[in-house]
Amino acid sequence: MAKIRNIAIYGKGGIGKSTTSSNISAALSEEGYKIMQIGCDPKSDSTNTLRGGRFVPTVLDRLRSGKRVETEEIVHEGFNGILCVETGGPEPGVGCAGRGIITAIELLKQKKIIEEYSPDIIIYDVLGDVVCGGFAMPIREGVADQIYTVSSSDFMSLYASNNLFKGIKKYANSGGALFSGVIGNSINLPIHEEIIQDFAANTKATIAGFVPRSLTVAKAELQGKTTIEADPDSEQAELYRQLAKGIIDNENRYVPNPLGTDELKAWAESWYDRLLEHNTSRSQNPQGQAAVKNDLSYYSLKPDNANVRVR
Amino acid sequence: MSQNNRTQQVDDNHVNSSQVDDHQEKRSHQNSQSRHQDRQELYDPTINLESNTCPNREQRAHGINVWYGQASQLIKEAKEGKLHACDRKFQQTSGCVLNFYLAVRLNTIRDAAIIFHAPVGCSSSALGYRELFRSIPVALGRPANYDLHWITTNIKENDVVYGAGNKLKFAIQEAERRYSPKAIFILTSCTSGVIGEDIEGAVNELQPYIKARIVPVHCEGSRSRLVQTGYDAFWHGVLKYLVKKPEKKQEDLINVASMLSYTWQDRLEITRLLGKIGLRPNFIPEFATVQQFEELSEAAVTAPLCPTYTDYLSKGLEQNYGVPYFLYPSPMGIANTDEWLRKIAEYTGKEKEVEVLIEEEHKKWLPKLEAIRKEFLNFKGNGEKIRIMGSLGQGRLLAHVPYFDEIGASSPAAMAQDFDNLILEEIEDVVNKVGDFKILVNTFQAAEQGHLTRLLDPDIALTCPFQGGAYKRNKGMTRIHALRSDGLPRSTQSGYAGAIAFANFLLQSLKSQSFQRTMLAKTDDTYKEWWYKQENPLYYLDKEEA
Repeated sequence: MAKIRNIAIYGKGGIGKSTTSSNISAALSEEGYKIMQIGCDPKSDSTNTLRGGRFVPTVLDRLRSGKRVETEEIVHEGFNGILCVETGGPEPGVGCAGRGIITAIELLKQKKIIEEYSPDIIIYDVLGDVVCGGFAMPIREGVADQIYTVSSSDFMSLYASNNLFKGIKKYANSGGALFSGVIGNSINLPIHEEIIQDFAANTKATIAGFVPRSLTVAKAELQGKTTIEADPDSEQAELYRQLAKGIIDNENRYVPNPLGTDELKAWAESWYDRLLEHNTSRSQNPQGQAAVKNDLSYYSLKPDNANVRVR
Repeated sequence: MSQNNRTQQVDDNHVNSSQVDDHQEKRSHQNSQSRHQDRQELYDPTINLESNTCPNREQRAHGINVWYGQASQLIKEAKEGKLHACDRKFQQTSGCVLNFYLAVRLNTIRDAAIIFHAPVGCSSSALGYRELFRSIPVALGRPANYDLHWITTNIKENDVVYGAGNKLKFAIQEAERRYSPKAIFILTSCTSGVIGEDIEGAVNELQPYIKARIVPVHCEGSRSRLVQTGYDAFWHGVLKYLVKKPEKKQEDLINVASMLSYTWQDRLEITRLLGKIGLRPNFIPEFATVQQFEELSEAAVTAPLCPTYTDYLSKGLEQNYGVPYFLYPSPMGIANTDEWLRKIAEYTGKEKEVEVLIEEEHKKWLPKLEAIRKEFLNFKGNGEKIRIMGSLGQGRLLAHVPYFDEIGASSPAAMAQDFDNLILEEIEDVVNKVGDFKILVNTFQAAEQGHLTRLLDPDIALTCPFQGGAYKRNKGMTRIHALRSDGLPRSTQSGYAGAIAFANFLLQSLKSQSFQRTMLAKTDDTYKEWWYKQENPLYYLDKEEA
């Protein structure tokens, strides 16, 4: 059996990591790879767009039933033969979602499900603030070997990425996964790319690619499909294919350098000034700038957010 | 210490800052007498029954788990607010908030049931209960029927992930069905705490359908490194859910909360003494009925056996039901017992009767004390006193150090599982009375105790059955106390009979060397010589944290 590529994709909730993961899975399956996508989020909707918008029974649901767990009950085939797994988790407000991820991944190991299906690539789609040990499970030894983060230029999203870097650094010396790049998402303006690039430079991280915000994606999602499936000839689909190819070719693995709390704050504040400057210079040039609001919130990086409170 | 300093310090201990503000606001409305204010700086005197549970001892009274030095220095540092809990780089096994006390004691409440909301192992120490108490003859007052009313929710992997609320609700219903109890205690655990189980939610939902009063006790082991937090958590549940508004005042009823280390004979002695002046003890929790808890509010006074144990209950009963209390002294030793009885008399109008009783008792016991005292004083034959070092705990620290003085011995050092500001004034009194001595604060660390015992080389070393264990040495060596399940008269320590019995017991341990001979001949050394050569018993203390 050839070595399996284990890739984990982290990101703040709602930032587009499931969309990105599913499109990467779809693009790679087109290339002939056998893909398994494992959603590690109690919302259990990571693989929905690979399955016509339908939820699949989760590993933990099966486990909870108390009956013997059959592999076909937790591995579901989706678009282009992609193997879809959802770890699942408790309903909001009870139990422990982090422990749920640990339990589910342990079960996948015990049941030798990965050996049984023998995929070429496994994509773990993980809820991304790494708030506890459970959500760090895919980083730890023996699960993923390459980590990506999906982030917009929004400060809170980059904050989540920085937390992920802390998690990677913690486990790096004990055989944990290493980092392979930031996937910039929801890009509208060049300055969004600049912010993410500057964050990457400051944390000694690399950029895996940028994905612009696009109506094509939203349309596809509403149909319960990935962009690759719904609109294969679109520019956006092509972008995802390039991103997927980049990820497959990327063997670069390293420990990023997370910023400390104060450094992160100082970095964000430095952008406040630059955004102000940027905004002013654009306002002074009326050509083609009618849509630009004289408001910093336009750039996502709000000064309010910059004042993040850290305990 | 200024108010600001205190806030800073509490913040350092990771207390929710709004909670601190809240407390401070309450404080500012309170009595402004200077002594009262000083106390507020040292510990939080208010018992807030609106919250689900008590603060832990670390927050409530700046409790610490480790310290070594002169008692006077400990008092000084406590007053300056310099004490704090520490980690060790190496630590021996320790007790937990749930298991040290609650798991063993609550079972004995006769018409109650107890639910451990925990993985099954957390309740294991409850199971020795029948064996523990079987040796007490029914003739001495132990109930003939004392079945274990015990249920565990057996929290497993799935329950951790999905929550175990339904299991808890089922357990409550099952407890009612099986035992028809008057009260159901729910003991929480680290696991239920970490996953944030909504205990109060389950209680509020089910209480209308359950005849028994449901009493949640928040004793998650991870809450505190001081087992004393378990006492407070238990009393909080009792005060909040079980104690009823007084229907009548029972002027002859004396609340006496007694802990594991007081024996059955102590109970009989206290009953005897109070009975002679027409009073009745309301012993809780062991072998009490639920009704006895309900009536705590009707008692004339809450009297201590151990101040650190009874503190929360005493203050809660006073603040909510006006039951007066005192916390010092405990009835151990002749002088302490006199004083304990006199204090009770103040609250019950029995001043005259008490003086008669004391006189009677003195006639009987003082000659015996004098004889023992002589033996102790002359034992070495060179004018030097017998030096006793005990693993005493906070309560016995206050009672026994003066008691050793009373029987003609001295106490170069004492050990306690923990220390907090609740006993600060009292320990100052003790130092003023008997002089300075060394204190090792040490939660169940037998190696540190062994080290200090070798270092100070007392004539009698008293180890705690829970934390020290027996180790071999040439000189006197015995246990500090028996457990409640020991029904023998020689194991008494309370009241007048106890003062004499314990003094005799200590004397015997000096005279009879057979235990030491056996230990020396038959057992291996527990620790290597290297350990004893280290200068400081707190060799493994993590100083960086300080």
